[in-house]
Amino acid sequence: MPPFIETQGLEHAYPLEGGGQVVALRGVDLTIKRGEFVALVGPNGSGKSTLARHLNGLLAPTAGQVWVEGMLTSDAGNLWAVRQRVGMVFQNPDNQLVASTVEEDVAFGPENLGFPPGEIRRRVDEALRTVGLADYRTHPPQMLSGGQKQLVAVAGALATRPACIVFDEPTSMLDPPGRRQILETIQHLNAAERITIVLITQSMEEASAARRVVVMDKGQITMDGSPEEVFGQGERLRAVGLDLPPAVEIAERLRAAGLALPRGLMTVEAVARTLC
Amino acid sequence: MLIQVENLVHTYAAGTPLAHMALRGVSLEISPGERVGILGPTGSGKSTLVQHLAGLLEPTAGQVRLDGVAAHERTSEARARRLRVGMAFQYPEDQIFEQTVFQEVAFGPRNLKLDEAEISARTRWALEMVGLDPAEVEHRVPFSLSGGEMRRVALADILSMRPEVLILDEPTAGLDPRGRRELLGRVLEWHETARMTLIVVSHNLDELARVAERAVVLAAGRVVADGPVRQVLSDGEHLRAAGLDVPQPVALLQALREAGWAVRTDRLGPEEAASEIVQAWTLREGDDGLRRDLPGPRESGA
Repeated sequence: MPPFIETQGLEHAYPLEGGGQVVALRGVDLTIKRGEFVALVGPNGSGKSTLARHLNGLLAPTAGQVWVEGMLTSDAGNLWAVRQRVGMVFQNPDNQLVASTVEEDVAFGPENLGFPPGEIRRRVDEALRTVGLADYRTHPPQMLSGGQKQLVAVAGALATRPACIVFDEPTSMLDPPGRRQILETIQHLNAAERITIVLITQSMEEASAARRVVVMDKGQITMDGSPEEVFGQGERLRAVGLDLPPAVEIAERLRAAGLALPRGLMTVEAVARTLC
Repeated sequence: MLIQVENLVHTYAAGTPLAHMALRGVSLEISPGERVGILGPTGSGKSTLVQHLAGLLEPTAGQVRLDGVAAHERTSEARARRLRVGMAFQYPEDQIFEQTVFQEVAFGPRNLKLDEAEISARTRWALEMVGLDPAEVEHRVPFSLSGGEMRRVALADILSMRPEVLILDEPTAGLDPRGRRELLGRVLEWHETARMTLIVVSHNLDELARVAERAVVLAAGRVVADGPVRQVLSDGEHLRAAGLDVPQPVALLQALREAGWAVRTDRLGPEEAASEIVQAWTLREGDDGLRRDLPGPRESGA
């Protein structure tokens, strides 16, 4: 069986008005297995969002290839099937809402796929139940909180029953309760619904919830491993302009002061348990 | 400039079925040169409140006074005071519209009908303040800059008006960790050198811990906490009631304290939290404690 998602030598350049170009990806080789939960982190301009847009064929490679279940995304004939497998949720929930009630908004995807009304109904109800918005079916999405609007966007992606959802900084415009809501939903989708997750985030705390962390810098992958492996290398992360999750930084400082703390403590709860 | 907010009420779409009371009687006073952080969940009224401080909204009831004058009034006295308040909305780069960086930053001073030499001096000064080299960027098209650079140009727009009060609504949203650190460092520099009053709205408690000396927590249109930033941000009970969490280092210190450690819980950053823990550890275990191996992480729930 081919890998679920694979990129090989992926390059992407954006042409500039008046000539010239900006190179966003410089040869990315990445394989994502079915069921993985991958966090993609990196400084602004490192190519994260460009890479994300290649994973469901929103962009076509300047050079190199991207396959989804063995289908080449640069082949226009595959796009429909590719996008059915890989859904996207973007940063700003307001830009993703298209209808005047929550359920119509969620139905937009399956309607476009041409399903019969009964099937659309089933998918919409199921998607809304999964994100916990069943009671808000008939609400206008504009009246919901930021976190709830983002959950509507997640339900919209779910209603097409994708195997994978790519989240591009889904929490950066939300308040702490909204962030928590989205992160818990993402974890649930991965653990219970077995949906492959690619989560782009500027929050290292969020990234530490993933099972694999991929670090990008200047259009290339510079680190790739478990959160414990990646966040165990504070110096390398800081060199590309990233931080450690607060718990990891505290543990690092405690070790530097002579406390014999083990490595791999990702949360303050874990640090507290170890000390007590 | 002294800012006084008295029993401020704001209702959006008053008299319609969509009427929504965003502020329900807010009172506070901000003295010249203070550094105030305003926090609260979405819908708590933060943005409405700061727009009132800038005189951009008319109170439904109560009032906002800038050096004694009602902020929103249509008098030259009130207008002069509003000009001393600079406000950066969220994602301020969305409001950039001029053809070159120079024209963009010069827009405000030009509206003040200053002479060209003064316009140009203020524009260059503002660009330097945000860490951009005027000679390098002034002829560039703003949209050819990176996101972080555009954010800085948008902030230079505001600085070129030489505000006494600077209001920043989520100034670091969308920036990476290094971009966030740099911007906050600059904001503190402006406060130092230009003696500005600084009012920062943010969801990011670690960020507020760095820039603010006083924190005001809003929930459902009311002030639910107002005090020194250390005290407010380590007060888990109030923060949780407002729908917020304590910063992670505080959460750790609180867990240790509950387990009997003699640690203060008002250490907001990872660095000071770590030194607090080291100090308490040394007291508990003596110097030998440092060399004793700790148990590994337990399997359950790690």
